[in-house]
Amino acid sequence: MAAWMLTKAGASVLMLEAGRDYNPDEAPMLNMAMDAPLRGINTPDKEFGFYDATVDGGWKMPGEPYTMAEGSEFMWWRSRMLGGRTNHWARNSFRMGEYDFKPKTRDGLGVDWPFEYKDIAPWYDRTEKLVGVYGSNDGLENHPNSGPGVLQTPPKFRVWETFLKAGGDAINVPVVAARRAVLTKKIDERSPCYWASGCGRGCSIGAAFQTTTSLIPWAKKTGKLTIATGAMVYEVLLDSSGKATGVRYIDKATGTHKEAKGRVVVLAASTGETARILLNSQVAGRSEGLANSSGQVGRNLMDTVGSSVSAYFPQLEGRPRYNEDGAMGLHAYIPFWDYKRIVSGEVDTPRGYHVEIGGSFGDPGMGVGGGLDGYGSSLRADVKRRYGARIGFTQRGEMIPNASSFCSIDTNTKDKFGIPVLKFNFAWADHELKQVKHFQNAMKELIDKLGGTLVSEPADPAKAISKGGEIIHEVGTARMGSDAKDSVTNQFGKTWDVDNLYITDGSVFASKAHKNPTITIMTLAMRSSDSIATRLRTGEL
Amino acid sequence: MTDTTAPVIIAIDRRVTLKWLMGALAVGQLAACGDGAKGLSWPELEAISATGIGKDPNLTDPVVPWPLTLTAAQLETTAELADLILPGEGAIPAPSKVGVPAFINEWVSAPYPDQHSDRVLIVNGLAWLDEESKVRNGVPFIRAEASAQKAILDDIAFKDKVKAGLEKPAEFFGRMRSLTLGAFYTTREGWADIGYMGNTPGTGDYAGPTPEAAAHIKGVIEGMGLKYTPA
Repeated sequence: MAAWMLTKAGASVLMLEAGRDYNPDEAPMLNMAMDAPLRGINTPDKEFGFYDATVDGGWKMPGEPYTMAEGSEFMWWRSRMLGGRTNHWARNSFRMGEYDFKPKTRDGLGVDWPFEYKDIAPWYDRTEKLVGVYGSNDGLENHPNSGPGVLQTPPKFRVWETFLKAGGDAINVPVVAARRAVLTKKIDERSPCYWASGCGRGCSIGAAFQTTTSLIPWAKKTGKLTIATGAMVYEVLLDSSGKATGVRYIDKATGTHKEAKGRVVVLAASTGETARILLNSQVAGRSEGLANSSGQVGRNLMDTVGSSVSAYFPQLEGRPRYNEDGAMGLHAYIPFWDYKRIVSGEVDTPRGYHVEIGGSFGDPGMGVGGGLDGYGSSLRADVKRRYGARIGFTQRGEMIPNASSFCSIDTNTKDKFGIPVLKFNFAWADHELKQVKHFQNAMKELIDKLGGTLVSEPADPAKAISKGGEIIHEVGTARMGSDAKDSVTNQFGKTWDVDNLYITDGSVFASKAHKNPTITIMTLAMRSSDSIATRLRTGEL
Repeated sequence: MTDTTAPVIIAIDRRVTLKWLMGALAVGQLAACGDGAKGLSWPELEAISATGIGKDPNLTDPVVPWPLTLTAAQLETTAELADLILPGEGAIPAPSKVGVPAFINEWVSAPYPDQHSDRVLIVNGLAWLDEESKVRNGVPFIRAEASAQKAILDDIAFKDKVKAGLEKPAEFFGRMRSLTLGAFYTTREGWADIGYMGNTPGTGDYAGPTPEAAAHIKGVIEGMGLKYTPA
């Protein structure tokens, strides 16, 4: 986003990407599972399955370790490719709302953001319009509407989503159109969704948003963008006055250390890598790393709260077949609805979650025989009867920053490039565990209303909750704020300590609302880049 | 994809066979008491150290880089078992006709931990099946009468009715069932059987439920006393 905004404004941009070049024409759009090794299942090499777009990445990367403090568990996903994680994200794009930007004001926990929702609302509109997001404006509490004409029409609900809506309506749990960065109408050179092909494979027709079919090619077209791939940045360079002059990186092809110079340095390396670069940067006379006079770099590490339940619905058995691939993701979802009972104290957890749901007549996979018994023609009948009768419910919830969750440099461990690695500390607090319980109870009520049976009784929240980092929504390690004493950047992603050093990734999040972070990362990046462009134009930078 | 016409690489090592012989001796003694082959051990196998998929494979022209390891005899038994698990019916082909045994070979030969566990279970399980059949019927599993084959399966295929002492064979059968179903229903023939109608690009808006599907769910919802909202 920063490269597009800045080149559009006339600036020359050098983009340094640690991974290789990537072109979504590589995406296996309609390839069948049976054409992939092991029917495309997750393996230690391709952790989201064979066809996942991620190149040279995953939880574990050869020669690029990270460490964890005793008693901590954290999973750090990397994507070493042009466009990074935008090539394979779920495209779920839920706006943060009024409450989400002022959490401390509401319940005294965490910190507030340095602006209000209304300050960023127009930027959400611009970003959503540029990206192409489908959804509907339902006017729900803390789930803001988009501006007029911003959203694209969402795809119709499928049968099982209509079924869930009927249950939800009966117990006042909303089931509404999801918001996803998937085109349902053509914009520019990008085609609308053709209702097939898993979005995580990458989308060569440009329907599912990723920067490699949009922002990066657009920025290239300006003639102002230079891209260097295989460039592993590890340090920001400063001059004697404390201004950033560029970065130092390892050119992976040759193994040589190189420098790149610029008037402004923008870090958008992902929450973990950005903190790592700052903490690994040497600043004369200081030991805490760069832009870290507040001591907050690496702190406030947050991920989304994740857990799931699954239920089988006899009422959906043997339902008439049709093509339910649709947009290959959410058409409907359950936004958080219980804010009033939080305020009244009837709900014992301070922050909300949303529920992502899945239950289509999907592409059968290796799990198609799960839970079945016997053999022969009765087995075949069971497979067919149960197909499309199971619905999965996935919690995506807000985590509150806590003092036990942070990353720092492990001075004893270096990666294959010789760069000191990150060490993670991570712990959920009682708030998150209680939120899991709320989710489990609410889903049980919904499932019960619809005559379903749980596939298995949900585990105790401490066991049911995801591991830190597992949802790949890690944010917060260089948070923005209104005071240089307890934040790393101002509201435009400018580091308090270095006037020409900016951050435009998820590390600047002051809180981690339950909403998937990408659309907000892009919106903040657009707003911050606009501020950089203005300052470049006026000669301030 | 796997070349099903490629020669099978026989890589089951001699040590396994030897362990089996030792186990089989013990079985012979047990069989004399009419206990079948349940006393067999299920030895660990050496992990496969072949090359895996890697972190950046060609996604549009996939290859299976590891050698296949099941013997011709093991593949035959696998095919027999797969076809008992999900027999062909009318126009629906049996698993052995759509490459399921070759896929199971690809699976158990893969250099990954989960597949290694399955390899131990399946290689040992296939041997158990033959030994059990020899004890009961005097011939290996594939030479036994259909009714005799089913008599063995009936002791291991139903989770609430597993014959005492046959828990390990039942675990083996469960994995074979799961792999057979997964492998079969990911083929075009499997898609037709289960009724998967996707992976088909369309134009215009998403069509949504057919009138028949919509009418059906409307009936279901209203039958439960709930309110139906059309898509």
